[in-house]
Amino acid sequence: MCILCGCSPSYQWHQSHPSYRKAPTDSIAITGLDEAFVVTRSSWFAKRLEISKDSIQTFTSHFCAKTFLTELRKSYVSVTVIPDAVINQFPEESQKLDTRIFMKGHLPDQGIVVKDSAGKAPAYILIIHEFILGTDLQRENFFDYALLHNEAPEKKTSKNLTAIVSYTLWDNEKQRPLYSAVNQFDQPNMNLSLSDIERIVSTAVKQITQNLTSGVQ
Amino acid sequence: MRHVILAALIFACSAFADNVFFHHHWTLWKDAEVLIWSADKNPAIDPKEFCLSLKRNNTGIGEPKCRLAGEWERDSIAMRYAHWLVANMDGNVKAEHLRARHPAMVAKIQSVEDRLVLFIGEREGSIFAATFDENNVEPVAAGVFTGTKDKIALGDKIASAFFNGSAKRRLSKEERAKRLTEPDESYKEIPGFQGWASIAVGYSQAKIPLTPSNWYSSHINSRVRGYRVTKDSVSLWNFIDDSDPQMAVYIGGTWYGFIGAELMYRYAYHEVKTDPQDTIYRELSYWGFHQHEVGLNVILSKTYTPIKWFKATPFAFMGFQYSFFVEDIGLKDKHKKPSKAYDVRIKFEDSYKGALVGIGSHFVFLNHYGLGLRAGISSRGRNIEEDPSPEAAAEPTTIGSSTIDCFVNLGLEYHFSM
Repeated sequence: MCILCGCSPSYQWHQSHPSYRKAPTDSIAITGLDEAFVVTRSSWFAKRLEISKDSIQTFTSHFCAKTFLTELRKSYVSVTVIPDAVINQFPEESQKLDTRIFMKGHLPDQGIVVKDSAGKAPAYILIIHEFILGTDLQRENFFDYALLHNEAPEKKTSKNLTAIVSYTLWDNEKQRPLYSAVNQFDQPNMNLSLSDIERIVSTAVKQITQNLTSGVQ
Repeated sequence: MRHVILAALIFACSAFADNVFFHHHWTLWKDAEVLIWSADKNPAIDPKEFCLSLKRNNTGIGEPKCRLAGEWERDSIAMRYAHWLVANMDGNVKAEHLRARHPAMVAKIQSVEDRLVLFIGEREGSIFAATFDENNVEPVAAGVFTGTKDKIALGDKIASAFFNGSAKRRLSKEERAKRLTEPDESYKEIPGFQGWASIAVGYSQAKIPLTPSNWYSSHINSRVRGYRVTKDSVSLWNFIDDSDPQMAVYIGGTWYGFIGAELMYRYAYHEVKTDPQDTIYRELSYWGFHQHEVGLNVILSKTYTPIKWFKATPFAFMGFQYSFFVEDIGLKDKHKKPSKAYDVRIKFEDSYKGALVGIGSHFVFLNHYGLGLRAGISSRGRNIEEDPSPEAAAEPTTIGSSTIDCFVNLGLEYHFSM
């Protein structure tokens, strides 16, 4: 199969906890939206979107976070936002998905229940570690430690708009990662506009919520 | 009958309730200090009673001392992990899912040294137990037991589930410190040069095992008449006994445990096979040949170390040798003057050149004292030192130009490395 596709090694891109029995249905908390979004080719994006290069990161970050939240609210009755600072106080750790695939992120300590601003402890927290936006990206170049130091090709292509998301569904009651994954989304790039970005973010959110359900053991 | 079914049911239920999730290999220390660590106010087992359970369950465990892990129970990070463990232990998790993540907790587990840590926690009426050792940041064994007020019975169950097997002697502080600096056996370097000297006894014969007898029968059965007459003279075994004891000395060495060379010297005595019906030998007291052989072998070998004090080095060798047959003949005292046939008796070549090939093995004890066993085939042929003359075809055949035998040697060896 791999030879036919022309892809090199096949990777396992997600990991479920053996005790992950029930996916969140009504309510979910989300964190990581403040700092997760990164645009890889800022000048390219700035030029297409006609925004100054200095503010492109902040602008897209805010825009994507807003879109992400709007889309998430369509899938769940109640969505609680937990500021990044709450999670960032914990040390950054690696989670292993495959022999060479490690994703990094902040995870709450064992025995510590995370509370939202109202003082309630949500049952599930969706932690977005990274949301990379770019053109023609391959997720293995970011997460396979053997390929991390590969140099980028001289000529950058822009056939597709790509989003790579790494996230963890956190069991806040028992303090364990229920489902961790790295997903990649490609969308044919015609003439970049904000609606394209909006479209790829909402595709990502839809896919993530589906994956949370299909990841149940 | 009803009672039996009831008893069987109770037994089945308790067997189901008592469940060991995983039990990896870990070191059970003799006379150990057992720390019982629990987040519960009133731990489900009693330290003193648990020590007695350990002794009852495993007589080889010595005199363990059990106490509550007070220092761990006062540490808030350890307590948080303890609560987390109780909440997270269940039948479908593996050890890696119970890994301690907080750096302070990791450091705490790694400083356990040669103490045994037994974690006990109660959840929904069941007692969860796990053990930790210094080499892992996750439990090495974990399981669940039916909750009971009987602390002795529970202690017995936990002892028999986790504390079986042979116990090892605890190391002193100095021994532990030394162990830390000791190089790992697995990374031990092969010495650059390993040499040996060996004195061996053995046996050789013309017939090579597993080959047909008719290849040799004419040589072996041949007898010498009139001091020189045989059916053919291609092999020396037509004239002298082929099956005789031999003695050998080897000095050799291998480089990097792989390629080596050795010098050898072998000695044997072969009697001439005189025809007993030939009356001309009445004057003869004894007649034989001392066989001296020197040679050089190339060796390919590989060393295995199954136990620390024992090494086995199987090898294969191939080499060449020069053979010298020195005649030893004597007449009976009353025959002062030998017969004419005696004076023109058979003469062997001054030397023969041959090859040898074989396999063997060194078995070395305590790095120095070894036994060597080897077997092989050796040949002797014409020692050509000048180009054959144009009349070579017309020359008579060299006596013993195809003298082949096989041998087996057992030697006492001394090994040394540099």
